[in-house]
Amino acid sequence: MAEPARDLVQIRGLGKVFESRKGLFGKSRSLKAVSAVDLDIPRGKVTGVVGESGCGKSTLARLVVRLLRPSEGRITFDGVDLQQQSNTAMRRLRRRIQMVFQDPYSAIDPRYTVADALLEPFQVQGIRLPAAEARAKVAGLLDMVRLGREMAGSYPHQLSGGQRQRIGIARALAFKPDFLVLDEPTASLDVSIQAQIIALLEQLKAELGLTYLFISHDLGLVRYFCDRIVVMYLGRVVEILPEPRAKPRHPYTRTLLESTFAPDPNQRRDISRLTGEIASAYELPAGCAFAARCAFADETCRARVPELMTDASGHATACFHPLN
Amino acid sequence: MALLEVRDLSIDIAGIKPLDGIGFAVDRGQILGLVGESGSGKSLTALSVMGLLPLIGGRVERGSIRFDGAELTQLSEPELRRLRGRRIAFITQNPMTSLDPVMRVGAQIDQVSRLHLGLDAKAAAARSIGLMERLRIPAAATVYHHYPQELSGGMKQRIVIAMALSADPDLIIADEPTTALDVTIQAQIIQLLVELVRDRGVALVLITHDMGVVAQACDRVVVLYAGRVAESNSVREIFASPRHPYTKALIGCIPRDGMAPGSLAGIPGSVPSVARYPAGCRFNPRCSEVLPLCPEVVPPLERMPSSGEVACHAVAAKVSHG
Amino acid sequence: MSAESIPARGGTLRRSVLGKVFATPKGGIAGAYLCFLVLLAIFAPWITPYPYDAQDLPVASQAPSWVHWLGTDEFGRDVLSRIMYGARTSLSVSATAIAISVFVGMVMGAAAGYFGGLLDRAVTTVVDLSWSFPEILLALILVAIIGPGLDSTMFAIGIAYLAQFTRLTRAQILSLKGETYIEATINLGASHGHIVFRHLMPNALAPVIVCGMLATGDAIILEATLGFFGLGAQPPVPSWGAMMSSGSALIFKAPWIIIFPGLVVAVSVIAINLFGDALVRALDIRARLREG
Repeated sequence: MAEPARDLVQIRGLGKVFESRKGLFGKSRSLKAVSAVDLDIPRGKVTGVVGESGCGKSTLARLVVRLLRPSEGRITFDGVDLQQQSNTAMRRLRRRIQMVFQDPYSAIDPRYTVADALLEPFQVQGIRLPAAEARAKVAGLLDMVRLGREMAGSYPHQLSGGQRQRIGIARALAFKPDFLVLDEPTASLDVSIQAQIIALLEQLKAELGLTYLFISHDLGLVRYFCDRIVVMYLGRVVEILPEPRAKPRHPYTRTLLESTFAPDPNQRRDISRLTGEIASAYELPAGCAFAARCAFADETCRARVPELMTDASGHATACFHPLN
Repeated sequence: MALLEVRDLSIDIAGIKPLDGIGFAVDRGQILGLVGESGSGKSLTALSVMGLLPLIGGRVERGSIRFDGAELTQLSEPELRRLRGRRIAFITQNPMTSLDPVMRVGAQIDQVSRLHLGLDAKAAAARSIGLMERLRIPAAATVYHHYPQELSGGMKQRIVIAMALSADPDLIIADEPTTALDVTIQAQIIQLLVELVRDRGVALVLITHDMGVVAQACDRVVVLYAGRVAESNSVREIFASPRHPYTKALIGCIPRDGMAPGSLAGIPGSVPSVARYPAGCRFNPRCSEVLPLCPEVVPPLERMPSSGEVACHAVAAKVSHG
Repeated sequence: MSAESIPARGGTLRRSVLGKVFATPKGGIAGAYLCFLVLLAIFAPWITPYPYDAQDLPVASQAPSWVHWLGTDEFGRDVLSRIMYGARTSLSVSATAIAISVFVGMVMGAAAGYFGGLLDRAVTTVVDLSWSFPEILLALILVAIIGPGLDSTMFAIGIAYLAQFTRLTRAQILSLKGETYIEATINLGASHGHIVFRHLMPNALAPVIVCGMLATGDAIILEATLGFFGLGAQPPVPSWGAMMSSGSALIFKAPWIIIFPGLVVAVSVIAINLFGDALVRALDIRARLREG
């Protein structure tokens, strides 16, 4: 049998444009949520995607799990081109690719009990489970996310945010997928609960051999949890750090790093150099999207979009004047 | 005497006591961080200081809030109104909802100086534009005429800060002023607030759940848990040697450079809801250093010989045993 | 698929909501009255003191007495019996009409809201057009076209209220579509049917049911109005509206002929509104509990 590819997911030239129209006769505006993204997601590792509003990370997540159709580009999962799959084939593939959503408060139908929610994946996939097996599955999934079995009969409103998020994770794991996309799974949780969930995700990755695509705006968390870090800005990948401690070469990544305050008063930063606002994704400038805020920008930067160039160590940067 | 001194503050909302024995002080030119997770009572504390509890059907049950010598809990509503906006300013969490969507932002800042300082239209406008420039809003004179929805989140928050500063207050209470903002914008706003405190000598109570922000900006820190003060100390001491088990655990929950993978553990359990506070120390069910005394007796907030105050039986025991 | 240990979905929620409604004074009294009215309507043929069409001219237009508790009308027919029978007409017509309206409205609204695009445009345009007509006008026009009678009244009322339920369902579906759990279900690979029938409709049901309840009250008045103009149930089938119409001629000589049916209409509609109110509150608390 052939060696499984090193990369579980390969993304090439991915783009997504949203059209919106003002009223019946208004002009339609296009929003380039994601442009020209090339990305490889290695098996068994945690790839982090970090960025601020409008960077396209949530859109990217949804494109990868096919909740959205790309406007251009290709996504290959374990050698299979996702674009070419029929609805039936895609449904089967969803047993191997799953997503955990940001908001635990609305991720479960309020009318469904925990057991209903955990059994729904089987129902959707057309698998009929006899009562005893269903009970066993629910118990097994609850155990997997370290929740008590007595929760099976609870409704979401009776659970805390952390517990609801564990249910969301358990649901995604119903078919023991290979690949989990996590869209800011801890953003709406308290810090102490966030740490619990991250610890759980670490354990699950080891136990089940999972590959994660971890979306977050929290660079500190991403540096702790992820093996590789992808930095996005206004729809484009601007830098890929092959390991969390790698020194940033893109000015935006460095800005992001400096803005992320360490929980240590001895590491206070001088951030008077930070200026500017994030541009609107509706009116993307012609050249590098970061040029307006960049201290090193020049005419080249404003005229052309820099390409993402990867060096031998796997460090990729899209910048005409990279640092270091 | 400090500009703002809160002592033993307890409030009552419809029979429930979400805050119990809160105490802290902040002086001019100082930034006090009020830290806690959800349900810790930080926003309620802010509302209490501003005298806004009646809005949510609450009242101060006992305790004192002294602002520049005056006892706020004894003041009438008209007297409180004279203080609000003029000497004590409040910055809320969500700039989207603090600004009136049908009024231009410049006019909203003008309102404050016209009301509290009696300025006429021209003087108020000049003052507002000056403030906006001080807050690094580009093309302030143009932005002055914009409506809130034409501005980004960071800009809106700067407008809200301008409104807070307009009447030259002595004390600013900022309730999670950057939570809704992007990281790089948050950094700018925090930096702005720090500069304002240094330049104008205002006192700032910064309410946040983000320990990074606390480490970057605050001079003193008060850690709240479930409506009570767990620990308070200078920022360096809190991070260098946290004493309360909750503080220690909380700091351990924050991912930082150099942490080994798998070392992020979290605190087992979750914050109790207001209706179901445990007896004795409210943290005891989740505490790694719990003693038999903890679920029985509420730990008093005690001054430590080295510095700071801690409300914990385990810590008190260690101290008394030398 | 569900085992006994895994509780049934929805059942416990529904029971506790109704329980809450009947627990409040408003809901309890109004609900009791409505139950009574329904029972009255069902058992009318067996419990009326007189047949509704038994004319007794010598005792025509008589005031309430021990023989005829609510008096007699201009043909000597017992007013009480006719009111009890009228309950059948009013309730069956309005309830059926509204039920059909709700069903069709939900289907149309859900389709428009879920699929969007051209279908949505078409449905919205039709709905908005009929929305601009007051219900009474719409009903009158329809009955004028089809001709008077119980069936046409039912049809007219059903059409008149269709716009309301379509719009309401569509709005609910549109807002629910954006919920994360819908995204999550799509992500599991669910079909359109699964999403619409297992998630969207059930969650959109509550406000539509309440609206339907309140509309039934309106429909009773509408039916009475049509009856008043002789466009509803044809004589001798009693309807509250027709009774009021014929009673209006004798309003000074025999006011009970118009007053009692009028009172019953008013009380019934008030009861429906109070019950609907209590239902809204009970559902709202549920919703608030969910969030808290």
